Amino acid sequence: MAADRLTVVGRAVPRLDARDKVTGAARYVSDLALPGLAHARVWRSPVPHARIIETLTERAAAAPGVLAVCAAADLPVKRLYFGPAYRDQPILAHEVIRYAGEPVVAVVADTERHAQAALALVDVRYEELPAATSAEQALAANASLIHPEIERAGHFRDLSGLRPIPGTNVCQHYAYQRGDLAHALEDADLVVEGVYRYPALSHHALEPHCVVARVDGDGLTVWATTQHPFPVRRELADVFDLPLAAVQVVVPLIGGAFGGKCYTKTEPLAAALAARVRRPVRLALSMEENARTITRHAVSVVIKTAVTRDGTLLARECDVVLDTGAYADIGPRVATKAGYRAPGPYRIPTLRIDAKCVYTNNVPAGAYRGYGVPQVTWAGESQMDVIAERLGLDPLALRLKNLLKRGEEYVAGDTPIDGDLAEGLEQTARAVGWTAPLARGRGRGLACAMKDGGGTHSTSTAIVRINADGSVDVLAGSVEAGQGIRTALAQITAETLGVPFASVVVAAPDTSVTPYDWGTSASRSTTIMGLAVQEAARDAREQVLALAAPLLDAEASMLTIRDGAITRDDRTMTVAEVISGHYGLVGGEVAGVGSFVPGKSSGSLGGATVFWESGMGAAEVEVDRETGAIELLKYISAADVGQAINPRECAAQDEGAAMQGIGPALFEARVNDAGQLLNPGLIDYRVPAFTDLPPTLETVLIENADGPGPFGAKGVGESGTFCVAPAIGSALTQATGVRLTELPMTPERVWRALRDAERGSLPPTLK
Amino acid sequence: MKEIAMTVIVNGDKHDLTVPPHETLIECLRDRLGLLGVKKSCDVQVCGTCTVLLDDRPVSACTVLAFEARGRSVRTIEGLARGDDLHPVQAAFVEHGALQCGFCTPGMIMATVALINENPRPTADEVKHYMRGNICRCTGYKRILEAILDASRRMSGASAGNGR
Amino acid sequence: MLRPFELSEPTSVAEASELLARHGDAARIYAGGTELILAMKEGLVHYEHLVNVKTIPGLAGVRLDAGTLRLGAATSHRALERDPLVRQHFPAVARMEADVANVRVREVGTLGGNLCFAEPHADPGTLLQVFDATARIEKKGSARTIPLEGLFVGPFETCLEGDELLTEIVVPPLPSRSAAAYLKFGFLERPSVGVAVAVTLDDGHVADARIAVGCVGPVPRRMREAEAELRGKPRTETGAALATAGRIAGRAADAITDLHGSAEYKEHLVGVLLRRAWDQALAAIDGSPRR
Repeated sequence: MAADRLTVVGRAVPRLDARDKVTGAARYVSDLALPGLAHARVWRSPVPHARIIETLTERAAAAPGVLAVCAAADLPVKRLYFGPAYRDQPILAHEVIRYAGEPVVAVVADTERHAQAALALVDVRYEELPAATSAEQALAANASLIHPEIERAGHFRDLSGLRPIPGTNVCQHYAYQRGDLAHALEDADLVVEGVYRYPALSHHALEPHCVVARVDGDGLTVWATTQHPFPVRRELADVFDLPLAAVQVVVPLIGGAFGGKCYTKTEPLAAALAARVRRPVRLALSMEENARTITRHAVSVVIKTAVTRDGTLLARECDVVLDTGAYADIGPRVATKAGYRAPGPYRIPTLRIDAKCVYTNNVPAGAYRGYGVPQVTWAGESQMDVIAERLGLDPLALRLKNLLKRGEEYVAGDTPIDGDLAEGLEQTARAVGWTAPLARGRGRGLACAMKDGGGTHSTSTAIVRINADGSVDVLAGSVEAGQGIRTALAQITAETLGVPFASVVVAAPDTSVTPYDWGTSASRSTTIMGLAVQEAARDAREQVLALAAPLLDAEASMLTIRDGAITRDDRTMTVAEVISGHYGLVGGEVAGVGSFVPGKSSGSLGGATVFWESGMGAAEVEVDRETGAIELLKYISAADVGQAINPRECAAQDEGAAMQGIGPALFEARVNDAGQLLNPGLIDYRVPAFTDLPPTLETVLIENADGPGPFGAKGVGESGTFCVAPAIGSALTQATGVRLTELPMTPERVWRALRDAERGSLPPTLK
Repeated sequence: MKEIAMTVIVNGDKHDLTVPPHETLIECLRDRLGLLGVKKSCDVQVCGTCTVLLDDRPVSACTVLAFEARGRSVRTIEGLARGDDLHPVQAAFVEHGALQCGFCTPGMIMATVALINENPRPTADEVKHYMRGNICRCTGYKRILEAILDASRRMSGASAGNGR
Repeated sequence: MLRPFELSEPTSVAEASELLARHGDAARIYAGGTELILAMKEGLVHYEHLVNVKTIPGLAGVRLDAGTLRLGAATSHRALERDPLVRQHFPAVARMEADVANVRVREVGTLGGNLCFAEPHADPGTLLQVFDATARIEKKGSARTIPLEGLFVGPFETCLEGDELLTEIVVPPLPSRSAAAYLKFGFLERPSVGVAVAVTLDDGHVADARIAVGCVGPVPRRMREAEAELRGKPRTETGAALATAGRIAGRAADAITDLHGSAEYKEHLVGVLLRRAWDQALAAIDGSPRR
């Protein structure tokens, strides 16, 4: 359908949930009240590595209002261990404590206050063990094994080929090679090498994790702040040895996620406690506890690029090490993807990539918006600018020369590039005023990156139900975390069916009601769930038209639905009239179903990339040399969205993503000292605030209708995080001559680099 | 432990309550009065998610004690709209796409109402300064700023000093 | 969550002092609670008994008394930020108060509470010292006045005896041809470095220079050795003296390395902020004929 004939897709219609959210009517998991609700609190390990000697729970159990105090052995579960890649994480620590903050004992009481008070009476005796609190320590030759044995979870097809390195703390090793490295290095006119570091981050969505669990007869219902209701259902079914159909996971609106609510986290514990006390149990984490539950991987990248004098890339070597913390979570996939994406969106004949996912005694690391791309892009794009400096080339020209073109392959066998990367980069450069004169003390930088978007081997099914009054229910398991997916799915449905947008309602994910969905992550929902919804809407439409045909004395193929009605010559029937007419009562419905089934390819990830999510960024900064403070004056972000289902929500997502990239670029990072998190809460962990909004923050949406999703859509939402740090880093270099290789670029780090450069203790930046 | 008897007006409704001194305002509003639009997030006064108005002044409900509201009036997000009619700030947030997950939104809107009440036509810098303590992790703040400036324009154009 | 406590609501300083004496370490003054309630919620401290001083008449309020600013200890930051007397006669104080924490903390938190909690990463204690501010401390039956500098003993520790309350902060005016300025720097929620100056000019020379540094070391304090570098200098020849004063003040500040930064960097920032605050103060003198 040509874009100019779209009536609701492509329009900035108001969000379905906007009114509820601005009036306080929106309900989240922590707003749920159930009769008899009990409250759980968790005793967490103060040390990063210890052998548990004994847990003393009697005093706590005798405290007022306490219903149960549980250590691992007290949980009524069939399986204690869970995890999306490896079943390596115990619901409560079992024999060994592996990170500071790990849950060891849980208290359930009739009120939160009673649970909190009883927590102070729990005593755990343990014997501290040496801890590996960095990937380097965990990789050392004499490092002890954090997990001497690990069991594959078998949940996800793309994780069936996990490759740990036996006898080490490496739980996943991704390696890829092509071309002739020795020759490429010989042929090169310039070889540049660097080490880049990206810190661990806390997601700090404003809604902390919260789970309410209730055991009913033979089944279990869990309301959870999760992006993955179906994988959580599967995990709970395994933990309790229940059939999937007996486990229900419901997700109302969630208050931000950014990957921190992916896969299973606190749901098994809440459910186990509910089973133990035979009452519904709420487990609500504080923000500090959240920070002790899941993080973004700290990553170091050793990167080496060989290039000819005219800037043609010949080869790239990337050695990527990810600190996945005490439990793998989805780290193995993040490591694989980080490795796969490390070379950047360029034509590079020769590659050697090595990515290692390393266990440490830190808080587990998992999914985080961008999924490895921000970390490897910090390295790869910074190095592109080092190359540009050394060769005396314009950083934009250097990139344009090497950017993959539409139709070219990134890796043999994977989906070819489906967008115009050069167009995006040129628009970004124009928008920042790339060639305009720069005031003194100012600098500009730009960067580009991409990820294989849409997830690997994922599937979604949706149902579109047209009710007898013409209103429509969409049953889709996509979680609304703020990204606007419910609104997008409603728009796709309305457009495809031909009914007014206002008549479409999108249900909350409920594994007992909404069909299977792999999960809300990987920028996949608009595209993949969108396709499933579109197919379901088409199915429903075909059924309605088939019913209408005899009533209007026409061939179904000649009829269309427009604005909820079907017209033939001078006769019009509404969809409601067709359905009621068919059933002979104001009842009945027409239900359509649609599915997306994953593709296959011979690419190194083993699954066809659904679409390429590419992003570009350009920054202009001013640097206060005396304090080292970088002031961001302008940031331009470009996102290739294919077809914006809702342009305002696409732009809003990209702006938010850019801000989420500004944080770690300039000031945001976890501070970890020997396995202790020094800044769990917002007083000492700096997230971007209003005052960090630069005078110019703009998003450019690239729309060429060249995506596989409905109406040519691609996914959106992550690419804004990719390019911020290297764009600012190179702007810093242009303004001052110094280049930083470790994030965040705090004022102190900038000041030190400037001071060292003045004193000559650093070699000139043109290394 | 002595509890405190108090009368408080919340969103225009009078309530007679008896509260222990250690009860926080957010516990009172959510757990006693069922005003679930007041959200709890960082719990340390930094994020502004729990912002409510106490005699028109913005406060952190997580750290203000409930008894401090005695004899005073409290306004939460639930007290802004008039039936189906959204408050101009609410309407501006919707139009400008100034919300995504919505968790910061009630507090953000209440802080905005307080700001505009005090400073009917704030500049962008004044908005950023006043709103510095209201964190949003989703939007990147740009659309919130636009919504606030737009709402202030509309409200000062509509009528002066109607005290909404 | 807060553990239960008893609340007393005295209506006089004497009554409050008596309550403190009676309950000893189990009692604490409670004003705005923005720091105390937070610390109690986090389980860092607990007091069985809180003594609400907001119920004591006259403990909050701003008065100008023959040019001297008299601030009730229970006056909120916001009240100070917006008070016409403060803004007109002590503009540096109003500006500093406007930047304390966030607007919600400023609405509820009090100046006295801020000073008595003695959190090192704070602003008011630093600036008020360059005005030679004094603190009035009362207990049942007696009162004493000390230089504000003497209030701060260590991080989270003041010189207050168990039964004493801070009741008033007295801020004398600067002489004519003077101005004060306060600058802070940080990238976390709380400030990392704060430097205050007050400059008095006389016939093109620096008649008086007052410098205070806060946030960096355990307590905010005056840097008298650094001040001596600047006194008497012609105002156009202060460049080298400022640099020296900055170095002296930086070292004297007893900086520690923490999440806010290294001691070395903080010392460096002291010098930078000193020079910038100095320039700001001079510009204020030049721009304001009355002073």
